[in-house]
Amino acid sequence: MVAPIDQVAPTTPPVAPSQRRGRGARPRIRARSGPSGVGASENRERARGLDRLWIVLFLAPFLLLYLGFTLWPLIATVYYSFFDWSGMGPIDDYVGGENYGSVLTDDLFWLAVGNTLLFAVATTVIKLPLSLIAAIVLTRTWLRGKRIFRTMFFAPLIIPVAMAGLIFTYLLNPSNGALNSILRDLGIVERSFDIFANRWSAMLAIVLVSVWQIFGQYMIYWMAALQNVPDEIYEAADLDGATEWQKLTRITLPMIRPVAVVILLLALVNAMHVFGLVVTLTGGGPGTSTYVMSYYIYQEAFATVPFDYGYASAAALLFSVLAFILVTGQGFFVRRAQRVRDEYGV
Amino acid sequence: MYAHRRAVTAVVMLLLTALLATACGSGSGGGGGDGKVTLRIWDFSMEQVDFHKKVAEKYNQENPNVTIEWRAITQDEYKKTLPLAFQSRQAPDIFYWSESNMARQSLLLEQGWIAPLNGGEPLPQDVVSRWPAGSFIEGINTAEGKAYSFPFTENLFWGPGYMFMNNQVFQQAGLDPANPPKTWSELEATCAKIVAATEAECIAAPKKGNQFQRLWHALTGGTMSNLFFDYKNGRFSLDDPKMLETFAFVQKLEKSGYLTPGSIDQNFARQQFAANGAAIYMDGTWMPSVWATQGFTSDKYSVAAHPNPDAGPTGALVREPSQNVYWVSSQSAAPDAAWKFMEWMTRPDGFFVQEYYKNGFGTLAFADSKKLVTDPALKKIMEIAETPGFRANIPLPILKCPDIAKSKAYSEAASQRPDAEYEAMLQALADNSPLQPLAAGVVATRQKAFEDKLAAEQASGLKVSKDCYTFPDWDYRTDYGLDKYTG
Repeated sequence: MVAPIDQVAPTTPPVAPSQRRGRGARPRIRARSGPSGVGASENRERARGLDRLWIVLFLAPFLLLYLGFTLWPLIATVYYSFFDWSGMGPIDDYVGGENYGSVLTDDLFWLAVGNTLLFAVATTVIKLPLSLIAAIVLTRTWLRGKRIFRTMFFAPLIIPVAMAGLIFTYLLNPSNGALNSILRDLGIVERSFDIFANRWSAMLAIVLVSVWQIFGQYMIYWMAALQNVPDEIYEAADLDGATEWQKLTRITLPMIRPVAVVILLLALVNAMHVFGLVVTLTGGGPGTSTYVMSYYIYQEAFATVPFDYGYASAAALLFSVLAFILVTGQGFFVRRAQRVRDEYGV
Repeated sequence: MYAHRRAVTAVVMLLLTALLATACGSGSGGGGGDGKVTLRIWDFSMEQVDFHKKVAEKYNQENPNVTIEWRAITQDEYKKTLPLAFQSRQAPDIFYWSESNMARQSLLLEQGWIAPLNGGEPLPQDVVSRWPAGSFIEGINTAEGKAYSFPFTENLFWGPGYMFMNNQVFQQAGLDPANPPKTWSELEATCAKIVAATEAECIAAPKKGNQFQRLWHALTGGTMSNLFFDYKNGRFSLDDPKMLETFAFVQKLEKSGYLTPGSIDQNFARQQFAANGAAIYMDGTWMPSVWATQGFTSDKYSVAAHPNPDAGPTGALVREPSQNVYWVSSQSAAPDAAWKFMEWMTRPDGFFVQEYYKNGFGTLAFADSKKLVTDPALKKIMEIAETPGFRANIPLPILKCPDIAKSKAYSEAASQRPDAEYEAMLQALADNSPLQPLAAGVVATRQKAFEDKLAAEQASGLKVSKDCYTFPDWDYRTDYGLDKYTG
């Protein structure tokens, strides 16, 4: 009988985080190497100064990019959202919260929010278990041809989204698409059907194509997580006579739980950016029934001349609030999961 | 050591300077110090790419100092790419813009995108005479006496609303394309025969976004007008009973399986027709040239007028002065060269005109189409368009109220979610539900925005009102003549 991993006593005594990390100990070692007490203190100061310099130097490129491409656009978006601005000319038509009011009373905005969340949840619910199963199978020692399978599952990821959308547009086309032809030839359907003809089937198509394309990426994430589980635990379980199922449910899954939380939330947040597949597969249709947030913002910003940056900025910010709630939730769950990992020193 | 550092610093500075120079460089107007000019022209006529190359070569032969770079971008992308180019000061010297119909010039002026032709000087008389009298209208293509554009394609033959029939599919179904369906009932009967006797679909109908207009324009042209604004009553009109009647017929076709299934786009629909996968495709004057580039020549299809309601037509397709589509960019560093090219392009017996007609691209406003058209399909199109009541001049609010040139009421109302009418129709088509509630919503939103803005503009001193857009004496099917505006 193998106890679940969170019930097993840790094999090493818990270590304080500050002791595990090396930074706190380093100045002490350096101080010992100084010629005298005063000199040691000076050396320590110099070392700290140098450390800071290097930190700043290494962080500078990232900070510059972050300021230029994240923080500044974010501040600008907040600013634009209070103006009626086309993107050209002076920003002088202050409208206060009017853009926000319009967005919040726009049915299409809420439809887009609903579709985005639906898409995020549906793709995550489908792709994570599937990719985990594939990862578990592909990390088995007895499996032959792993590389072929890995390449096969990973290949769709390198196809540009637009191309993937076009491929499936033709495959699913009711007039001469392969799917309809096969179903007709097999006598399963009498007449061609259009999967993009209504909201739910069109959304399902977007979800499935997205899963098909992104599946390999999540499989790689899972494989990395699985390879982090120490072999010693499996060896110990083998000695205890654990079956494969027991090893999976009592060792593997509990051990990868912290990473799973990260993967799960990463999957949710990434899915909320869906855009390319909607453009190529449905164009937001039929009607507007498959609008998602990115597409809504894009259409609001660029569908007419003059562009409507102010309105689109307000919509983007409102949606960002939703994404922020998810990311904050991610932080909470990751910290909690990390604590579990820390307790067992893995 | 220091020398090495200096060398590194110098290289970094050079690179930065080069980057800055590239970033700050003007995108348009290749006026070099040696007198050489590069004119960049943008449009979305993908089928004319080879023709435009020839035009560029010919112009360069005649004007060695001028190089033309004519670029075509797909239509959907173009509407976003061009404004972004203006925003980043990378706009071309000459551009094609056909959005917003009659509010186009005021919109482009407001955006600061356009420069007057001929440096703002009056156009020479020999140039003006290339167009029929009354082609240059204040507020449409001239402002404060300066011409900003010119009618490119003429507006009688050019436009949507024609029915193309695939000869092979018709013959397979035992039908004669020379005897096309003339009424909605005949169209249904024709479709029934085609579906029963062939593997092909009956009508290739694009149903992706506003591309649904290809079918819609043709059918609504028989009941009311292919605009979503009713100039008879001064209101947006998707919820008008005649519009709803037309849509109900489309729904009937869909339900009967006579429209190609699926949300196909116009390219797919056109290819399907050309590949004998559909019997009928409804679209505009440009189709012979589009199919010609796909090797589908006019001997393989026939053209007819769109079918009308069984009780006879009660509407007509719109004829409006909206063919002013080529503009000189305000960001051009060589506006004079741009105008010289336009003058050369519009010579009635010039290279551009000759080649344009040779390729069967359509009918130009500054050329004698009857003399120059050779393509049988295009000739047939011209014959159809000349039928009285097929296309009618619509009333022009700007001629009734000159201040309309400064008004944004219509353009703002129409550009609020510009495809809302098509979205509503496609939604109703997909759900097989009545259009009326959705249409009423679209109309109410647009009409409110329109009337509110008119009221605000009126309060600010502009002489505009809903009355400027209302022409109760118009009957949709007859030309609204210039004499109607007097008195």
